[in-house]
Amino acid sequence: MNPREVLPGLVLLAVIAVLPLVASNVVLNFLLSSLIVALAAQGWNLLGGYAGQLSFGHAAFFGTGAYATAVLQIRYGVNAWVGLAVGIALGAAVGWVIGALSFRARLRGSYFALVTLAFAEVLRILANAADFTGGASGLLIRLSPGVENLQFASRAAFLWLLASAVAAVLLLTAWIAHHRFGAHLVAVRENEDAARALGVDVLRTKLRAIALSGGVTAAAGCLYAQNFLYLDANIAYGTWISIEVLIACVLGGTGTVLGPVVGALALHGVGELAKLALGRVAGPVPGVDLVVFGALLILAVAFLPRGMMAGLQRLTRGLAR
Amino acid sequence: MTVYPINRRALLGAAASGAALLAMPTVLRAQSAAVKIGLLQPLTGALAQDGELGRLGAEAAVAKINSDGGLPALGGAKIELVVADARSNPEAGAQEVEKLQGEGVVAIVGGFASPICLAASQAAARYDLPYVVDVGVADSIVTRGLANTFRLAPGFGTVTSAAVENLIRLNDAAGKPCKTVVLVHEDGLFGSGLARLMATELPKHGFEVLETIPHPTPARDMNNIALRLRSLRPDLLIPSSYYGEFVLLSRTMRQQRIRPKGIYAVLNGAASNYRFVKEFPDAALGVMDCNHWHDPKNPEAVALKAQVDAAGKFWAYNIPLNYSCVKLVADAVNRAGAADRAKVIAALAASDYSGHIMPYGATRFVGGQNQGARPVNTQVQDGDIKVIFPTEVADARPVFPIQG
Repeated sequence: MNPREVLPGLVLLAVIAVLPLVASNVVLNFLLSSLIVALAAQGWNLLGGYAGQLSFGHAAFFGTGAYATAVLQIRYGVNAWVGLAVGIALGAAVGWVIGALSFRARLRGSYFALVTLAFAEVLRILANAADFTGGASGLLIRLSPGVENLQFASRAAFLWLLASAVAAVLLLTAWIAHHRFGAHLVAVRENEDAARALGVDVLRTKLRAIALSGGVTAAAGCLYAQNFLYLDANIAYGTWISIEVLIACVLGGTGTVLGPVVGALALHGVGELAKLALGRVAGPVPGVDLVVFGALLILAVAFLPRGMMAGLQRLTRGLAR
Repeated sequence: MTVYPINRRALLGAAASGAALLAMPTVLRAQSAAVKIGLLQPLTGALAQDGELGRLGAEAAVAKINSDGGLPALGGAKIELVVADARSNPEAGAQEVEKLQGEGVVAIVGGFASPICLAASQAAARYDLPYVVDVGVADSIVTRGLANTFRLAPGFGTVTSAAVENLIRLNDAAGKPCKTVVLVHEDGLFGSGLARLMATELPKHGFEVLETIPHPTPARDMNNIALRLRSLRPDLLIPSSYYGEFVLLSRTMRQQRIRPKGIYAVLNGAASNYRFVKEFPDAALGVMDCNHWHDPKNPEAVALKAQVDAAGKFWAYNIPLNYSCVKLVADAVNRAGAADRAKVIAALAASDYSGHIMPYGATRFVGGQNQGARPVNTQVQDGDIKVIFPTEVADARPVFPIQG
């Protein structure tokens, strides 16, 4: 593991962790949402960034984690921490099943992307219709703050938990990137046939990647459910999360250790700042922030096609010269 | 150099101005600090139209309260509305509650959609912040035991039982012309629940439910549903959809000349909306709805509607509901005697407020739900929306069946 890769990320998370001492709840709430997306995006990055298997349906894992935590608590009285562990395991299992079905059928590129989208949509429709998921009424986790219930009276405690989770996945990603498994992932991404010729078990590598990716994204879903305490099919399995994790990774830099975290913070940060600044200048004009946000996103993708991390590297190299 | 002589009038004027300026802080101090009420509405996204209507009603209420002298028990303190955008999703709704908490509001009104109300009221409960739901009908909103959550309007159970009861009365009074029914509903929270309830209740009263057809929101094409309706030929169509989907369905039915004996909507997004009536008068004619509506015999409601009409805006139930909810909260703050959240919650729980403009019975909150709340039946007649049930507030008689 290269310390130079993870150090900026850990410093960033440490700064976020001390923010509750000075920042308002509005800022903490923004950070909570951003870090949930960052965690889910880290999951996407393992499959899409390192293994090159672009998924449009990470909502399938996010929703499975969220629903597992909520259903286990509400219907079976299971402790939330156990729900979190089961949620992560189920997310990984759903990833493995989707992977087994689509990779065995040799689906690649846009075909794989569309199949993942279809799986997420099927799960959304099923969750919307089934009784045990609360159907269209959704599920409401009972408000009972307490560490044992994975609910916290203060936003700061939840932020620390989330920052720890993001830091853990950051370290895991950095470790994988320099491990044999990481090399296999990159080999599969660059040229599947060549990787196979070199003796890489392509199917096994991809299945491990999607299971790991599913587990990490499911963890984000579990924590989302514990933070907002309300879920319905459109939140859990909606396309919004698939799109947000994709944009966060593209913006930050796919296949980089820090990219998803930087991308998620920038994605939400730009939106919030645009809303704040324009709200002050133009008054309360609903949606004007989204217009600016969209325009900035286009500019970022146009001028930083390899993501913000690549842009930062270019900048630091330029300054060093 | 030109010298401007100072005459007596100018000197007196300047002295008076100076005195007024110096006295200004005293005048400002005499005016009590404004009481902030949060308004949470989906101002962007799929539900933006409803959010804007809600804002219109809330702003009208604040203008009315302030022009009537503010809150007397708080030294004439004015109300200041702090508007937050729930962006048509529960997550943003819960986040905006944090923003309103940061702004120091004494209570929050609104939410519109049930999922937003559920998430936002729970977020407000963390701060013991009073939350008054404007429209959200899910029964679970007031059955979770949250002491901070109140609903002035009727919930799902009350609306649906009134809808079934009134439909039977309507059909019986017309000599039972309708025997077969098709339910078309959006596959979300209220549509699915309503369809399930109707499919259980209607057969008990002699109706045959031919089919239940769900559709997603948003839906871009209703041709298949219209074709199904053409082949089933029901006497009565019961749609439960949001605005866009119902307008699309009724227009498609019109184009394909599908004319059941009645269209009886429940909590429909369009059937009680003047925009639909004005833009598609043919499709809207005769459509009935069991929904929230203002009291057409209340002079304040009539005046507010005239004010909205004069401003060139379309009238819908969101306006009187938000108007009434803001007034309810203002009354509670006034009775509490301070912008203190715990006292406002206690004042709301004990409220018997009658200054609202809804056709409700005596206000009495049990577990946060107003027991006096009830829906009304409306019908589109001659380019207008008339109340046809209950008779004591009705301003027209039902026209049913539409074609014999």
